[in-house]
Amino acid sequence: MNFRGTLPTLILEALEQEPSHGYRIAQRIKQRSEGVLDFKEGTLYPALHKLENDGLVESYEGVEKGRSRRYYRITKSGRGMLVKDRAEWRQLSRAVTLILEEA
Amino acid sequence: MIMELETWLKQATRHLSSDSTAQVRIEIREHYESARESAMTTGATDCEADRLAVAALGNAKTANRQYRRVLLTSDEAGLLREANWEARAVCSRPWLKWMFLAIPLVALAAACALFLTGSTAVARVLLIGGIGMGILCAAPFLPIYTQSRARVFRPVKWVVLTGMLVLAFGADALKWSWLLSSCLWPMAWIEWTRISIRRKLPVAKWPKQLYL
Repeated sequence: MNFRGTLPTLILEALEQEPSHGYRIAQRIKQRSEGVLDFKEGTLYPALHKLENDGLVESYEGVEKGRSRRYYRITKSGRGMLVKDRAEWRQLSRAVTLILEEA
Repeated sequence: MIMELETWLKQATRHLSSDSTAQVRIEIREHYESARESAMTTGATDCEADRLAVAALGNAKTANRQYRRVLLTSDEAGLLREANWEARAVCSRPWLKWMFLAIPLVALAAACALFLTGSTAVARVLLIGGIGMGILCAAPFLPIYTQSRARVFRPVKWVVLTGMLVLAFGADALKWSWLLSSCLWPMAWIEWTRISIRRKLPVAKWPKQLYL
């Protein structure tokens, strides 16, 4: 399942826990959604670049197992955006649940 | 299987600038290596691990479309390079800068003088030329290097250019629309490309011409 438009929020949520590189972000999203949100990993990086251009995440060079990797961390504005996105999502989800349970 | 990754990368980086291509290649290769290692720890063979790692990347064309929305394309990088070259060329020759500033002013002064003497036809041509030169050539020397000033300048630029065309063609503007649209096409393309670059580059990295 791939919910369009939710990937940036899921990335921000994954990065709120700790700075991470692309592969680990993808794995974390898949694991935490118990495999339901299975997006194609090639589309993760354009989303990360967009977040970086918007100043919501920042990248830096890190090393893992002796290999140089590009790590991403959430910025202050990224945290602000995440709070806003969470509130919007809860509101939307409550509204849809109300309608579907009524039917 | 490296061949398959190469094919994927070629499709995903199509029409991207060389810097963007290098960036994509590095990050996707890093991702591929991690995915491959992870698959091998779960007991996959070399071949299976390669196949799974490439398959997990998804459709290269979709990735390319998304990359082109956030990274500079070769056309955009070319436009930035040309603009930087022009800026350097003008900055290294101070007389050129003064010429770009002086010509519109001289043309406007001459137009005023000619209007006063009654030569309205020549005065109108000079006025149009002066306005055009002023808005296009002298603008880079104006103190427009903040987003708020740029937001004011850009609409003013288009209003002035439209006014200039109305002044030049008057009631015949519709009759000459084919000429106008073909002449304005390069300007429209540059403006469109600049809009796209503005979306992709953080403001801190904007060169002067992106504000105009």
